[in-house]
Amino acid sequence: MSVLPRRILKETQRLMQEPVPGISAKPDEGNARYFHVKVTGPEDSPFEGGLFKLELFLPEDYPMSAPKVRFITKIYHPNIDRLGRICLDILKDKWSPALQIRTVLLSIQALLSAPNPDDPLANDVAELWKVNEIEAIRNAKEWTRMYATEN
Amino acid sequence: MEQFEQLLTCAICLDRYRNPKLLPCQHSFCMEPCMDGLVDYVRRQVKCPECRAEHRIPYNGVQGYPTNVTLQRFLELHIEITGELPDPTSGQIMKRCGVCSEKAYVTSCVHCEKDVCSDCKGAHMDILRREIARINNQVRRALHRLSDMLAGVEKNMLTLQQNCTSVTEEVDEIYRRLAKALKDRTDHLRGEIDRYLTTELKNLCNLKENLDIEISNIQSNCDLADKHMQSDDVEWEDSELMDAKEIFLKTVDFIRNFETEIGDYSRRAKFLMAHDPNQLVMHVASYGELTIHAPHQAFNASSNSLQAPSPGLMRSKSDHRLASQYRQDERNAYEPGGEIGGRVSPLGGRKFGERYPSRYSRGDRNDYDADTTHDNENRSSARSRIRSRLGRHGLNENTDSDTDSRSVRFSEINNTVHRERERVLDTEDVAKGPLSGITRLYDSPRVMKRLLESENKDKKADAAPKSQPQPAVQQPKKITPQPTPQRQLSEDDEIARIKRQNKTASTSSDTERRDRVGSIKRDDSRDSNRSTSNTPADSTRRTSNVPEPLPADTQESSESESEEDSVEVVEPRKPTPAKTTFPPSTSAATGDSRRSSTASDNIASKGNSRLKSTRSDSIESTSSETPGTPVRRNAGGTFPSEDVKQSPVSSSSGSTTPRARFSSVSSKRDSATPTNSRSYSVTGNGGSTSKKEEIEDEEEEEEEETETSSESSETDTDEDSEDAKPKTPVPKAMEKTDIGPLLARSAQARDNGSGSNSSSRRTSQDESYTRSRYGTSGYKSPSSYQSPREADTSTSGSKYLNNTRTEPAPRFTSRFLKNKSIQEENPSKPSYNSDNKYTSDKGGLSRSRTSANLEEDLPDDTNTSTYSPYSKNHYGSELSRSRSSHALKSRETSPDRPVTNASAGTGEKDGAALSSWARYLKNKYGNRGKENAAKDNAAASSASSSSSRRLSLGLPLRSNSTHVDSSDDDQKNMQSSPTSHTIIEAGMQGVGSTPRVQYLQKRQLLFKIGGRGSEPGYFTWPRGVAVGPDNLIVVADSSNHRIQVFDNSGKILKDFGSYGNSEGEFDCLAGVAVNRIGQYIIADRYNHRIQVLDPSGRFLRTFGSQGSSDGRFNYPWGITTDALGFIYVCDKENHRIQVFQSDGTFVGKFGSNGNKIGQLEHPHYIAVSNTNRVIVSDCNNHRIQIFDVNGRVISSFGTEGSENGQFKFPKGVAVDDQGYILVADSGNNRIQIFHPDSTFLRAFGCWGSGDGEFKGLEGIAVMSNGNILVCDRENHRVQVF
Repeated sequence: MSVLPRRILKETQRLMQEPVPGISAKPDEGNARYFHVKVTGPEDSPFEGGLFKLELFLPEDYPMSAPKVRFITKIYHPNIDRLGRICLDILKDKWSPALQIRTVLLSIQALLSAPNPDDPLANDVAELWKVNEIEAIRNAKEWTRMYATEN
Repeated sequence: MEQFEQLLTCAICLDRYRNPKLLPCQHSFCMEPCMDGLVDYVRRQVKCPECRAEHRIPYNGVQGYPTNVTLQRFLELHIEITGELPDPTSGQIMKRCGVCSEKAYVTSCVHCEKDVCSDCKGAHMDILRREIARINNQVRRALHRLSDMLAGVEKNMLTLQQNCTSVTEEVDEIYRRLAKALKDRTDHLRGEIDRYLTTELKNLCNLKENLDIEISNIQSNCDLADKHMQSDDVEWEDSELMDAKEIFLKTVDFIRNFETEIGDYSRRAKFLMAHDPNQLVMHVASYGELTIHAPHQAFNASSNSLQAPSPGLMRSKSDHRLASQYRQDERNAYEPGGEIGGRVSPLGGRKFGERYPSRYSRGDRNDYDADTTHDNENRSSARSRIRSRLGRHGLNENTDSDTDSRSVRFSEINNTVHRERERVLDTEDVAKGPLSGITRLYDSPRVMKRLLESENKDKKADAAPKSQPQPAVQQPKKITPQPTPQRQLSEDDEIARIKRQNKTASTSSDTERRDRVGSIKRDDSRDSNRSTSNTPADSTRRTSNVPEPLPADTQESSESESEEDSVEVVEPRKPTPAKTTFPPSTSAATGDSRRSSTASDNIASKGNSRLKSTRSDSIESTSSETPGTPVRRNAGGTFPSEDVKQSPVSSSSGSTTPRARFSSVSSKRDSATPTNSRSYSVTGNGGSTSKKEEIEDEEEEEEEETETSSESSETDTDEDSEDAKPKTPVPKAMEKTDIGPLLARSAQARDNGSGSNSSSRRTSQDESYTRSRYGTSGYKSPSSYQSPREADTSTSGSKYLNNTRTEPAPRFTSRFLKNKSIQEENPSKPSYNSDNKYTSDKGGLSRSRTSANLEEDLPDDTNTSTYSPYSKNHYGSELSRSRSSHALKSRETSPDRPVTNASAGTGEKDGAALSSWARYLKNKYGNRGKENAAKDNAAASSASSSSSRRLSLGLPLRSNSTHVDSSDDDQKNMQSSPTSHTIIEAGMQGVGSTPRVQYLQKRQLLFKIGGRGSEPGYFTWPRGVAVGPDNLIVVADSSNHRIQVFDNSGKILKDFGSYGNSEGEFDCLAGVAVNRIGQYIIADRYNHRIQVLDPSGRFLRTFGSQGSSDGRFNYPWGITTDALGFIYVCDKENHRIQVFQSDGTFVGKFGSNGNKIGQLEHPHYIAVSNTNRVIVSDCNNHRIQIFDVNGRVISSFGTEGSENGQFKFPKGVAVDDQGYILVADSGNNRIQIFHPDSTFLRAFGCWGSGDGEFKGLEGIAVMSNGNILVCDRENHRVQVF
């Protein structure tokens, strides 16, 4: 493994020094490119009150390519599949080197408040979300309670 | 302020802007790592990370964007305001770190000679420190060795002094005794003489007085008588008269009878010596000698001076020798063991860095010199010593690899300390160890400065830290120098020393010996000359004695299988046994030859030594050699052809041997000069011989010359081979009778050890010199059809030389293998042969050339490094030389046969010989192999037979008619490689012509298959392509993870496979091959395995997994299979080829990462011809390498470039049934076609997406009808031409 680029160091430092409200990201002890992330469910969303764990990995050519982010906590969301994979454009083709870990996580947080069933990853969820949003939101809350609430 | 800072921060690297470049969207980013990383090279655009606007990249790249000068000013301003230190890396350019390949500000690292980033450099420094520490430890641990030595030396000094005084006393005592004895004796003798003189004088005086008295008496009587008696004056009484008369009568009587004793007149004393005075003087003069014993090394110098023939004389005689002696001394001085005795070298201490070169080059030579001389003088007594020494040196030399490795190690160490180039600590005015040349670090200004600095720093700092840093700095530096020397002493030298110790009782004795040898050498050399002259005569005599049995023997032997030969050969190795093996005549011949060889060897060696120093010397040597050869020659002329043959051969071999030996050595080394000079000598030899012959027989002249040369060359070969594997001559199936003597000779040659170098090479270089003489010799080269094999063998031999002495067996096998491989290769080689033939006519030139050709043909892994055809002239020549000699060897064998005159028999023999390896092949390859073998065999045998025929003709001719011989040569040349030729020619003209024409016409696209997509019939990055039975087109559709099969018109038949890692699933498969029964063999690239599917696409088996051990892969790429079903896999990231049986059993592997011959860097595709040539696209080396099935390099062609015959990242390779090689030259986006001999035929294609244009070529294949399939990767299609 090569040396950690300065940018990652800087980002890490800043994440620790000026954490984003509702988001915490800590680098793994053994691997500075691997982050343990916790995101609180945004207010006024079905995920409110939940604490979602994610993992974030900065690939070798970061920041030229997007970090890999995945939900570890199960979540009922049309853009997040059962495996926790996230359908988010900035993690794919819309990635820009000007984005940072914090912006990515903020985007994910935003995604929680604004699910986009028209660009689904979990088809069944999206379907329900489109057909019966109330039901879907209820499910989401249920899942949040079941999986994303401590104790 | 914070925002201000933020404005000065690049959004990508989050660092302060460095050379900010302004995008058209008005966003700025650092140019070097940031903007660079944004570039989409495919679309040539940059996407702004801030606003996602896409901008076309200027023509000259991102640096073409305007620099944001405003921002820069702000940056400067900011720096001024904040007083922050300027970025230390500003102005530097980021590069890829040579180690971690991160983009970073790099500095060159002395440790690895790469530009590396600071982190890596730090790591390297740490490594260095650790190494220094480690080595320092070693030094410390081993330092006692030096102190021990010191103590020993001191003790030795003491004992030496004592010894010397005692000896002096002894000498004085003796002197006193002798002087006393002499004086006593002298006194005694003087006394005697005095006494004698006095007595004699007394006697004589008496006598004289008496006589005087008598005379006066008688006188008075007479007077009286006259006066008074005759006259009557006085009255005399009668009685008185009577008395007077009586008196007178008495007087008369007395006078008459008085006779002097002889002694009276000639009394003299004679001094007789009991011994011859001269002798006595000599005895006295040499009444004692000092034997200097090993323990008293210091004595050596004195001993030298003490020895009667003073070096001074010698010196005047040959300066170079002296120089060599000096060198030797020097060498001794450097002897790792730290033998101090030798250290008195006149040339003084060597410098640190010089050590290796001096040691190897000089030392070896010297040794050779010494050896030779030694041998000559007291052969019997010295031999053992010499042997051992030779062995050692031989080891040294032959083990070049060994040495190399050692030296490498050494150099590594060097590196750790400081690179040779920029040795900072090495300064002239620094005190250096006189022996090791190790600088005293404390004296190095640099070190001093460093230490001072650190001290100052420390002073400034607290007391506590003070002590710490200093040692840190100090230590490494200080230690540095020592380790190196230490290393030298401890490791290399120790080893050497240990070896030496093992071999000889004591190292010191060795040194001493060497010194002596040096002095003796000169004498020896003279002797050798003499001996040479003598030897020939001997040989002649013996030769003449040689009875008829020889031919019979020859036959027998020739018929006997290679195995037998091997046995025999082995025996010969020890000279005596060899004799036993052969009939008396042979043995006699052998003996002679041996002798002569020795003589010649000596000479040669002498010559060599001289050659080293000067060319003129070499010439001398040549001349010296000449006598030996000519004599032999004469013998040949006088006696039946057979005898002649043998004798010349032997002689020539003798002379050659050293060379051959050397050649092997030389091949490893790059001692071009010596070689050359030597070559002279060789040439001279041949030439001289021929000359003599001329004188003798003008008619025969030509023949003889040829013969001689040929023989000599043959001999060379033999010796080469022998040298190569002195103990295991086995492989030469062909050499039978001759082998014995040759071997013996070779053995001796070995003993002499003087590296005789590649005659051929020299020949080539000094063509003019050699040419005339060698003219005929050239014809031999053609014969080399088999020679390739042999040459190979020889090469291998050389390779094994290291082991040679110790381990004969391995070589044996190796040779066999080689033979086999060569055999297989033979068919393909014919063209070369033809060349040889033609060249042969030209003589000397041809010879050299031949060797080159051979070299080309059989570039061996061993020597290969320099070996490529291109290097022929330079390095190659050496190698080639040995090879050629081998070829000649084969030839040589034949001469015997001719004697027998049964050409058919010869053929048989050859066949037998061949068959043995054929059999071997068979065994290895099974039936299929048989076929091949048979074919090869046929070719080989035909070649051999032809050669044999040639030989038969040649030899008889020789004996019988000269002219025939010359014609024979031509014939031979023509016939030499008939089979191969015919084959090739047939291929080229008959069948071959078709493809050739076809290929020449290729350009027009016949049809294309596919386009991007994942539907059947479409591809996503197709890579491998193969042709199956019925000309099915099989394409590895890499990123669709499937195989697609088309018929020969491009119609999709089926596709199978999907993404995954289970059976029948692929992950970006790359290569595909179809074996004879239609099974698909697929390199499942990202799964690091090979899968075999049946013709219908059902999974059969898989083998391999990721890894680098045998049978494991790292991104297997190209794959192919041969007619035997063996599977060859390009194990790309392991930079090797792996070979498996069709069931997946690992068979072998070859290649390693590197750019030397036989090494590979990212081999991509592979193809096997029906002649079992394995063609590999050595992608990152931009060349194609051709191996035999055992992984030995046959040839290599191509360099990086876009000219015809050059490559840029060649990928796909294919070979048609004629041996034409097709290469997908991916970097040049063209297809190149080569003749079977690797010469360029044509190229077509260019970059683009139209018909006949390519973007990123991958696999290539050729159908039986000559259609060329090529995977046009980026165009996602297969094009057919």
